[in-house]
Amino acid sequence: MIGDLMKPKVAFFDFTSCEGCQLTVVDSLQTHVDLLDAVEIVQFREAMTEKGEDYAIAFVEGSISRASDEARLRRIREQAAIVVALGACAHLGGINAIRNAQPLDDVRKYVYGDKADWYETYPARPISAVVKVDAVIPGCPIDRDEFIGVVKALLLGKKPPLPDYPVCVECKRKENVCVFHKGGFCLGPVIRAGCGAICPTCGDGCEGCRGLIPNPNQDSMSDVLVKYGLTVADMLARWTMFGTYQQMEAGS
Amino acid sequence: MSLRMIDKGSMAAFVSNLLQAYEVVGPRAKDSQYAFGRITDYDQLRLDYNTTILPPKKYLLPQEEVLFTFQTEGMSAAPVFDTRPRVIFGVHTCDIHALHLLDAVFATGQRDEHYLERRAATLIVGIECLTPCDEHSFCKSMGTLSASEGFDLHLTDLGDRYAVEVGTPAGEALLARYAANHGAGESEVGLLDKMLSEKWPRFSYRLDFDGNELPALMAVSYKNPIWKELEGRCLACGSCNLVCPTCYCFDVQDRVSMDRKTGERIRVWDSCQLAEFARVGSGENFRKTRAERQRHRFFRKGKYIPDMHGELGCVGCGRCARACLVDITPVGVWNALHKAHTA
Amino acid sequence: MSPIPTVGSVYVPSPARVAKVKALTVMEKLFTIELPWGQSLGHQPGQFVEVSLFGIGEAPISISSSPSRSNGVFELCVRKVGDVTGALHGLEEGATIGVRGPMGTGFPVEKFRGKDILFAPGGLGLAPARSLINQVLDERGSFGRVMILYGARNPAELLFKDELEAWRQRSDVEFLVTVDRSDESWTGNVGVITTLFKHVVVNPRNTVAVTIGPPVMYRFVLMELLGKGIPERQIWMSLERRMKCGVGKCGHCQINNLYCCQQGPAFNYAQIKGVEEAI
Repeated sequence: MIGDLMKPKVAFFDFTSCEGCQLTVVDSLQTHVDLLDAVEIVQFREAMTEKGEDYAIAFVEGSISRASDEARLRRIREQAAIVVALGACAHLGGINAIRNAQPLDDVRKYVYGDKADWYETYPARPISAVVKVDAVIPGCPIDRDEFIGVVKALLLGKKPPLPDYPVCVECKRKENVCVFHKGGFCLGPVIRAGCGAICPTCGDGCEGCRGLIPNPNQDSMSDVLVKYGLTVADMLARWTMFGTYQQMEAGS
Repeated sequence: MSLRMIDKGSMAAFVSNLLQAYEVVGPRAKDSQYAFGRITDYDQLRLDYNTTILPPKKYLLPQEEVLFTFQTEGMSAAPVFDTRPRVIFGVHTCDIHALHLLDAVFATGQRDEHYLERRAATLIVGIECLTPCDEHSFCKSMGTLSASEGFDLHLTDLGDRYAVEVGTPAGEALLARYAANHGAGESEVGLLDKMLSEKWPRFSYRLDFDGNELPALMAVSYKNPIWKELEGRCLACGSCNLVCPTCYCFDVQDRVSMDRKTGERIRVWDSCQLAEFARVGSGENFRKTRAERQRHRFFRKGKYIPDMHGELGCVGCGRCARACLVDITPVGVWNALHKAHTA
Repeated sequence: MSPIPTVGSVYVPSPARVAKVKALTVMEKLFTIELPWGQSLGHQPGQFVEVSLFGIGEAPISISSSPSRSNGVFELCVRKVGDVTGALHGLEEGATIGVRGPMGTGFPVEKFRGKDILFAPGGLGLAPARSLINQVLDERGSFGRVMILYGARNPAELLFKDELEAWRQRSDVEFLVTVDRSDESWTGNVGVITTLFKHVVVNPRNTVAVTIGPPVMYRFVLMELLGKGIPERQIWMSLERRMKCGVGKCGHCQINNLYCCQQGPAFNYAQIKGVEEAI
């Protein structure tokens, strides 16, 4: 059962993104060369020229930020048995969604100047707003080990692991000095773990790139911020970076 | 057993001698706090530490440990035991009590040889606390401000030397083999007695009642409204459990190689405060609310563990109180329960 | 008792062979498991084993076969709900799995001898109940009346249909079955399991009740059983919890102070009546 698995065909796609998550995949291929024995990559624009259209697993990076993206994403969904959101933009809308809070015409003029009318755009959204997503690998960028873990789980026919507990768990296991105790400011208590608490481990507060845990105690988190001399506005400002789409959805 | 003396000038040699035969771990500075870590040089050892972020438990029940390695073909497996000789140096008395409890937990019923083998290879050198670590500790209320067992050697700082109480024959052998030491003279015994009796008033009882009354107090506190109140405050971040010297709950996971032919089954620290802790395969979650989970945590510490093992499940180290960003503390909760019950 | 010996570590499973796989419903399969060297599992009804598939994980599964029919094999009725059970469903006969056990405390069958036994399993609860039912039927002479009241959600979810039919036909078994929702094929009782209780009259002092089912079922079935005057310590249940380690350490299965994997999963009502988290 476990030993004689097929070698699934895998493809990588990108929408609105910096392609940093795909870069992390390329990076993982260097540390896990055996990945290439386990799967057959048929399409990966950032890493190869071939473009196979026969794939079972699609990893999709980037948010959907214009109407014409939708048809392409739907075609991917129709082809792939498993669609995985790769990274914060695909998972949450991410940084691209910051603009959703501004009038779209202003944003377009700001970015494209007098060529604004040449470009199609609409409020950025996560890929799950357009198609069904089977698994997510959160993060900005994704975590290399988590990517490998998800691939292994898919190969085994297991539900890909996705921690539903906050970053604090990993921070404590690593015995980090709490960012708040260092006078800093951290979203870790309400943000999904899985990154190995990389930012707090390196001395920075969590910026929330992996999205909120299910049922976060947001009122209590606000109390924490007040206790450490911050305001809810500070938190919302920090949370805007990766959570604008979610904030606007919650508010609408 | 017996009382010996080590001059402070001989301590560096003691530690470096130990390094020949043991992995030595002890408190080291970490940013503005302390953490137990590998000691390769005596100067790294901070016996003047107040408390550590994680307790020394991590050397007996590591954050993550391989239980066995396996081959999927034929389902063959080989258990993994860590039996490297290790000295945990500078353990405070609260943590000595906590390890004593863990020893009982892992030896009761079906024996957990992963813990017990590691424990058998470990020597514990305690150090007496002469001042409270900070405002969060409440060891005196929990009866852990001193320890009469659970260590191989136990140090007390007498200024220019350490008094060393020998707790076990293994400790005695360690001392004889690796440390320049001498017997305690009458004046040294007198000085030790003076230090030990003078330290007592420096610590305060922070519970409004005797810690030994906790099981009885908990027995009448199941329906107390405080649990509902904690529902609103708790972040369910698990920090309280993860820094606790007596928490031992764990999760079990498999890790496989890319070809899925080999792998290992590991256990990792878990926390009963996390939302999914009590969910079963069919989907039911038996402790859905933060209130229920906090209540479970405090009942484990104050009642279930003492009922099962005859020792309190909390040693008053204060780590959970330090770690909790929303100030849920055992002292606060238990005093509130006590007040509610006596009002 | 001859539990599978552990090699140094209580967490290392022993290899065992899947001798037979039989689909019972769309969701449940019955696995016949064979231990090496003709070993017997040596279980009591109500106990469970931890089943491992290396790389996938481990899951607690209650033993569905009777010790009286052990014969070097035991049976597990597995509903496909997660990774391990899903992977088990993908196994073919001859595959190797890992097994630890038997674990936990089962039903004290010896105490039940001479008594009337009222079984009230609901849904997948029939899987562990079947272990005891078949032991009782195999040793029929040493028990009094045998009543089986079985409820399933719909006819398609009825487990062990051939055995149900055999029980129905036995004159020494009082057998009633109901479904919550019927379909065209169904001509029997419709309604939740508690609707069957009005059809049986028991001698409460001499009756042992064994009810196993989903958590929501217990409260209602208990009311029926207590309403018939059956003493609390004669009402037995099996509680489902997340038994991760199976040896009373990992904490996941705790029901207040009780470790379900040690003191349970079989409990009588007197044991758990005051245990708030139990039902």
